[in-house]
Amino acid sequence: MAPKKSVPKAAPKTLKASTKAELPPKVQKVPRAAKPAATADVVVIGGGHNGLVAAAYLARAGIKTILVEARTELGGMALTGDVDGVRAPMLSHTVGRFRPRVARDLGLQGKVKLVEPEARNFAPHPTNGTAITLWRDAKRTAAELATRPNGERVAAGYLKLDGRMRRVGAYFEKVLDGIPPDLDGGKSVAELLAGFAFRAPFSGLEEGDGREILRMLPMSASDLVNEYINDEHLEALISWRGSRYNASGPISPGTGATLLFDSITGDGADGGASGETVVAIGGPGALISAIADAARGFGAEIRTGAQVTAITERDGRVTGVALASGEEIIAPYVLSTLDPKSTLLNLLGVEATGPELRRRLRATRNTGVTAKLNILLDQLPVFPSAGSAAEQEVRLRGRITILSDTLGIERAFDSSKYGEMSDVPVVEAMIPTLIDPSLTNDKRHLLSAVVQYAPVDLKGGWTADARKTLADRAVAVLESVAPGISSHIVARQLITPADLQSDWGATGGHAMHVNEGFDQFAQWRPLYGIGRYETPIDGLFLSGAGTHPGGGVTGAPGANAAEKLIRHLRRAAE
Amino acid sequence: MAERYDAIVVGGGHNGLTSAAYLAKAGLKVIVLERRSVLGGATLTESPVPGYKFSVASYLVSLLRPQVIRELDLAKHGLQMAPSVGTYTPHWDGYLDRRTDHADTIREIRKWSHRDADNYDDFKQTVTDITRFIRPAVDMPAPDPYGDPKEWLEYAGLAKEFGHLPLRTKGALLDLITGSAYDFLRRWFEGEPLIGTMSASGIIGTFLGIKSPGTGMVFLHHYFGEIDGSFREWALPQGGTGAVAAAIASAAQSFGAITRTDAPVKQVLLRGDKAIGVVLESGEEVYGDTIVSAADAKHTFIDMLPAGSLPTDFETAIRNFKFRGSSAKVNFALDGLPTFTAAPPGNGHLLGTVSISPSPNYMERAYDDAKHGHPSKRPFLDMLIPTMTDPTMAPPGKHVATAFVQYAPHKLAPEHGGWDNIKEQFGDLVVDTISEFAPDFRDKIVGRQIMTPLDLERTIGLTEGNIFQGEILVQQMAFNRPVSGWSRYKTPIRDYWLASSSAHPGGGIMGAPGRLAALEILKSKRGEA
Repeated sequence: MAPKKSVPKAAPKTLKASTKAELPPKVQKVPRAAKPAATADVVVIGGGHNGLVAAAYLARAGIKTILVEARTELGGMALTGDVDGVRAPMLSHTVGRFRPRVARDLGLQGKVKLVEPEARNFAPHPTNGTAITLWRDAKRTAAELATRPNGERVAAGYLKLDGRMRRVGAYFEKVLDGIPPDLDGGKSVAELLAGFAFRAPFSGLEEGDGREILRMLPMSASDLVNEYINDEHLEALISWRGSRYNASGPISPGTGATLLFDSITGDGADGGASGETVVAIGGPGALISAIADAARGFGAEIRTGAQVTAITERDGRVTGVALASGEEIIAPYVLSTLDPKSTLLNLLGVEATGPELRRRLRATRNTGVTAKLNILLDQLPVFPSAGSAAEQEVRLRGRITILSDTLGIERAFDSSKYGEMSDVPVVEAMIPTLIDPSLTNDKRHLLSAVVQYAPVDLKGGWTADARKTLADRAVAVLESVAPGISSHIVARQLITPADLQSDWGATGGHAMHVNEGFDQFAQWRPLYGIGRYETPIDGLFLSGAGTHPGGGVTGAPGANAAEKLIRHLRRAAE
Repeated sequence: MAERYDAIVVGGGHNGLTSAAYLAKAGLKVIVLERRSVLGGATLTESPVPGYKFSVASYLVSLLRPQVIRELDLAKHGLQMAPSVGTYTPHWDGYLDRRTDHADTIREIRKWSHRDADNYDDFKQTVTDITRFIRPAVDMPAPDPYGDPKEWLEYAGLAKEFGHLPLRTKGALLDLITGSAYDFLRRWFEGEPLIGTMSASGIIGTFLGIKSPGTGMVFLHHYFGEIDGSFREWALPQGGTGAVAAAIASAAQSFGAITRTDAPVKQVLLRGDKAIGVVLESGEEVYGDTIVSAADAKHTFIDMLPAGSLPTDFETAIRNFKFRGSSAKVNFALDGLPTFTAAPPGNGHLLGTVSISPSPNYMERAYDDAKHGHPSKRPFLDMLIPTMTDPTMAPPGKHVATAFVQYAPHKLAPEHGGWDNIKEQFGDLVVDTISEFAPDFRDKIVGRQIMTPLDLERTIGLTEGNIFQGEILVQQMAFNRPVSGWSRYKTPIRDYWLASSSAHPGGGIMGAPGRLAALEILKSKRGEA
């Protein structure tokens, strides 16, 4: 697969829609419009970062694009919201992995300030008082690891793993920006050998790394890390990134693929064994505003408070969308960044999707297990294992991950399989006000925490009691490494997977739309047959976190899907 | 001075014997050296309770390659197999009894779910299409992604065929290779006992749960099963699984191979980077042109080679090869048949497999225990009563029952004090588990044999008690088995070959690695490879 590096500059002047598409949609399917229907070449559904990126690319190519967002605010899960009157990252608290080429293509440089702290990940151990810091500079990490028990070997193992992950991550950096290869494409033996033997995409990789990729993708993150690192806290810390936001544990096979995707390196990305930690000044919403401005600048129309109730189609061909207001937008193409189940099961009828696709799609894994806890504190909490006050200021600027060992994460995961929340959840916190004091503008601090595992289908439901229990358990975890933190809490806000489902519209309340892992990966994300952005419904394109290369604030699914659609439109115009 | 052979086969399990038979059939002078006093390895029938014969370790034959049966003429050498008819799953609220009759099976499934009954044929068709497509790969060496393009040409037909498969088959195949057995089955089914029992094919011999991605691969591995051309048919060899090894041994001997028992190999003798023979524990040396190891990858490369004889990367890869045995075997001598509380009239449901796998959550919780180092509090059991079809296994009127039990993790949490400490307790747990559904089972027991993973390791020589000589994990299959770049039976040591289940296509009573290794050796001797 040759990754597409640039977006075509010249756009077709006019886009010819098919005659069929110009016909109005079936009347009985759509509430009667109050005013004449708007028309567009493409309707983009969803105003999260992927929808905005897609709209910007489409508009930039001269395509008449209308983006519709159900919520009153843009941003989706990359939203800067409000905690007790203070601006705070609502869901995602980092914007690491946002594709540099997308930023370049859309001219975002200089429009949003990104900060990458030296300390990427600080991991205070919940019981034994020790801590690990993963620095941006792997050598600095290794130097500190060397002081641990069996430290010399651990440090050497870390450097070796980091080196491997960076080399492999450079390969994935290209994969991220590409449309997954077509497994059906092989017509000649030569093509088959190139495609099927995975040789072509591996060009430029050393043989050893190429062999390793084929072995690592289906592995569990813990097996992958354990081959290099014999230190249970460090092994858990690194392998955790294969399960973060997902209903899997570090022992689940296929989490190796997620870990490697989270470790991409090259073209401005700098993952490696520590993973990236990048914060947008003003919260992730600042990045959203910049993309939205770019999209509008290219001519895209953006509407908020516009909820799509149906994707209209006629004879298997998209005709537009119907909105909750009763209005309709007529368009021959729709690009949806909603989760695939919302798009294909809820917005379309069985006559359009067919029973086979629905049956397969229903079984797609999308059980959300991740909650978000936002806390407003009256002062900076003290983490004794981070050292002196000055040292804390430095170490606490990255992610703060609280876990002990692989089996501990697995234990937390186990309960979620049976509809229960973890007794001791895994907590990954950020204190964004350390990097961006403008959020509170005073001595108060924000602590933004990913809390896992708490399943969307909690037994007994997400009652007020259940919500309090989860928040208390997360605070207890924080208390174990920052004694006294509870007494500084001014306000707290919990967003459960059930909220992600009801308020953000994510089926299953999954932050990544569908579970990540080797089983829902590349051209089989979300499913083989609809994993290359196109769907069996003419004119309907899928995008968003439920498509390759998955979740996180990368913009890649949006950019890739838009490119695919632009190419399609060019061909249609010829 | 010791005698000289064309080929020395280390290990007299079914793969070693198969290799020896093919090599001898081609005219080579072959000797098989077996550590124990009996041939068979894990394909073994013994009588630890006098008068009762147990298939000690393995219990069913589903994977034995038809080529092996045909080319070695195993029927002539006494192999008789009766198809195992159906699977009976007791449940707290009833039972699911699937036998060979299609209409009966659909009726049984409909008791639990109409949807499942309606979807059953589509499921069967999909799985049949997949196995038909993938089956040739079991009988070919795995191509190396960085190897000679010639190797890939062997697969060109298969790749082309992939392009022509309908989307549903392709999608389902990818689901199996990458996903979990449970998620795969969920695409068609919802009934508790149906999913519970069918998903068991995804965990047999694997240290993963039915919901763990990767178990689809194990499921697929078990569906290669083909007896007389019919897919997913399991068979019971008359005389226990040891009869399979005996027939292959007899075939090998008829071609002139010598089989020696009580001949444990201590080390492979090297001259430079070339293997030239073996030295036995007794100090005796045996020389040969080609040394074939039918032991698992750890014994083959770590234990039997002098330290430092392997390239570092290769040795590291072997040390990273995962075994993680997860199962035990408990065999019972019974003075009568057990009575299951919820069962159809008669004893027909005891002809096939009795599967204690009542629901997906039962199966998953069994794994959760094991993950944390404990034997499952309520284990999954796959039990057979071979005397239902083969009365020679027990004294007249008596029975034997053989239970495959999972999970029994090789690596126990420290509080258990090791397998020898909890062995009898574990046996009692198995009795309790069966008695929950057949209360009189415990009263029928006149003797029992417990094979913990530690026993499988010590007695049979399976590292960490893994019945497949290396876990069936996606990253340990095909061109990665056992090490990327070394999947075609050759090893970094010249004239030293791997013919065990640690090589492609993996474990089970298949004979495939043994046969494919022998064919590669013969090719190499002809100067073709």
